[in-house]
Parts: sequence; structure tokens; C-alpha cells
Amino acid sequence: MIRIENAHKRYRWRKVLDGVTFSAEKGQITCLVGMNGAGKSTLLKAIMGLTPLSKGSIRVDGVGSKRELYEKVSFIPDHAAMPGGYRLEDGLQFMADYYKRWNEARANELMAFFRLDPRDRVGNLSKGTAAKYGLVLGLAADTEFVLMDEPFSGIDVFSREMIGEVFSSRLIEDRGVLVTTHEIGEIEYLLDRAILLKDGKVARDIDCEQVRDEQGKSVLDVMREVYRS
Amino acid sequence: MDNHGGWMETAFNTRDPVYLQVVRLFKERIVTGLLAAGEAIPSRREIASLLKMNPNTAQRAYKEMEEQGLIVTEGNSPSRITRDEDVLRNIRSELLGEAVRTFVGSIRNMQVPLQEIVALVQEEYESDAQRRDRKPGGEGA
Repeated sequence: MIRIENAHKRYRWRKVLDGVTFSAEKGQITCLVGMNGAGKSTLLKAIMGLTPLSKGSIRVDGVGSKRELYEKVSFIPDHAAMPGGYRLEDGLQFMADYYKRWNEARANELMAFFRLDPRDRVGNLSKGTAAKYGLVLGLAADTEFVLMDEPFSGIDVFSREMIGEVFSSRLIEDRGVLVTTHEIGEIEYLLDRAILLKDGKVARDIDCEQVRDEQGKSVLDVMREVYRS
Repeated sequence: MDNHGGWMETAFNTRDPVYLQVVRLFKERIVTGLLAAGEAIPSRREIASLLKMNPNTAQRAYKEMEEQGLIVTEGNSPSRITRDEDVLRNIRSELLGEAVRTFVGSIRNMQVPLQEIVALVQEEYESDAQRRDRKPGGEGA
């Protein structure tokens, strides 16, 4: 479980996070929802130890050291994580050298699934293809948690569909996924939980099926209540 | 062309619980004969990826169907549609009853005499059957 408690973060005078508390469970897909600038990416980066919190704590299954954390959690940022001059295969090799839990067979499977050419260069990829390559890098390691920053933003509908397929496949099964988005769209069905951030706080923390069951509302309906009021 | 038994054409709505929509999908397939009594069904993992949904939701749908006696799972073998005649009959009357209730609800305010409705239903039923006769094999495409 990833547990975030009372997270505060300030960029100069602006409070981005103002006491955020939630958890993301293993075996579940949790979505952090929020408008642009709501602090979603900041939270992911804070989990990875890439940015310090002003206050609050983050625990991943009680893991202490960073080195251990990187074997447990993979992070898929919303921008290319490899130098533009690299061929895709060079990026895979880099990951294989760096991560003990790198799974080469799975990397090749993912490359084939997304129809990526290992000889292409990172700098020449379109936005959708770069997003797919990001997923390969993030999912091929046998980590228990996967963090994805806006995997669906700004890419074409077929790439979205393929990425959606990955969510329902055994590539994800049993792992904990924490994904951010500012538009819920077609990933509604894929989620277990949605955490809605507003004004630096958690406005709602919902079990998606429960909200449909008990209130007949979609996640989008709940978003409307929160963000249009 | 292989469309995986038609599973992949399914579209869910976002306001009803997805697991109940899956249960409903199975009931429709049973009533229309696409799934036969005793037939093996896809595993939870397979159905999740066919319907592109969360594996936890697939798990929940199968659990619900087991509780309703719709499917039976014995040991490690694949789950199967029940052979229990009573359960199968109940599904049919449940879906039929629902469809009729929806129909009646949608014309309730028009104040049409029952006789006229019955006649219209009969007319539509017959011309629908004729339309389908003219297209042997059901679908042209």
C-alpha cells in the first residue's frame, strides 16, 4: 500500500498541496483526478522522492531507502524519460542495467504489443508512440506499484484504446496502479477508486462501483459536483 | 473474421455498476441462445481483457453470477453456465418482464386503449418476422 498522510507542498507563495491524505492499494487501479495545477504530478514525484514535501509523510509498504523503493515502484512520467538520440533498444538496455527486477521477456512482449520498432530513435517518436514507449519502460520491470502521469493526455484515440487494453490485461493484474488524469473519459470503467483533488485537498475519495451502485452516478457526475460548484 | 464471440462489441454505460452490466450481458446471451446450458465461459482474466475492464470488476461479476446460480465453478475447471432449468426459465421471464415494463412505461402517458396496443404489437411482430425471413441467415454483412 502507498500511504500519503497530510501532504503539504508550497511552490513559493502558492500552496499546491494543503493536507492531502489517501492510500493506493495493491491489486487496485486508483486514479488521481484534478484540474491542471491541482498537484497530481507533484504527488507522484513526491512518492518517488523526486521532490520534497513541505510537510507530511509517504510510505510504500513501510519501505525506507530510496534504492529499495525504486525496485518496488516504477514511474511513467508524461514526458520522454530517455535522451532523444537513444534508440528504443538502448533505452531498454539502460533499464535492464539499472533495475534488478527488469523483465526482458515482458519488455519484448510489450514492444510487440505496441508495435514499436527497437531501432527507432526516442527523439523521433510522436506523442502517442512516446506514451506507449513510456509504458513499456514502466511496466516491464516486476514492480509492485506503477505510477503513471497522464498516460492518456494528448494522444490519438487508437493509442488510447491500446493503453486502455493494457490496464485490463495481466500486465497490470495484482499490481497497484496510481494514475493521474484531468479528464476521466473512457478510463472510467477501468478504475477501482477515484481521488478528486481540489484546492490542494482531497475533495472526494470514492469507490467507483459503489457510487454507481448506491447513487447511480458515474465518476464524471461526481466530478461535475466537485468542480462546477 | 474472429471477433471473439462478439464480446468485444460490448459498450458499457457509466452510471450503472459495471459488474451488474456484465451479469446482464450474460443473461441476454443465455436467453438469446448465444450461451447454452452447461457451456464453458471465458475465465475472469479473459473476460476482463475481452471487455476491456478492470479484473476486479470481472471477479465481482462472476461472484454475483455464482450467487445467483447463473454459473457454476467446480474446482479448477472453467466456470460453466448452469444446467438448472428453473434458473434458466427465471432469467427468461426476468428479461421479458423488464422489456414489457419498459415498453408499457414509455407509452403509459399516451392513453392508448389496450386493444389498440395489442394489435400494434402483433402487427410489428409479424412484419419484423417477415423482414428477417427476407434476409436469410440473419445478417447480410
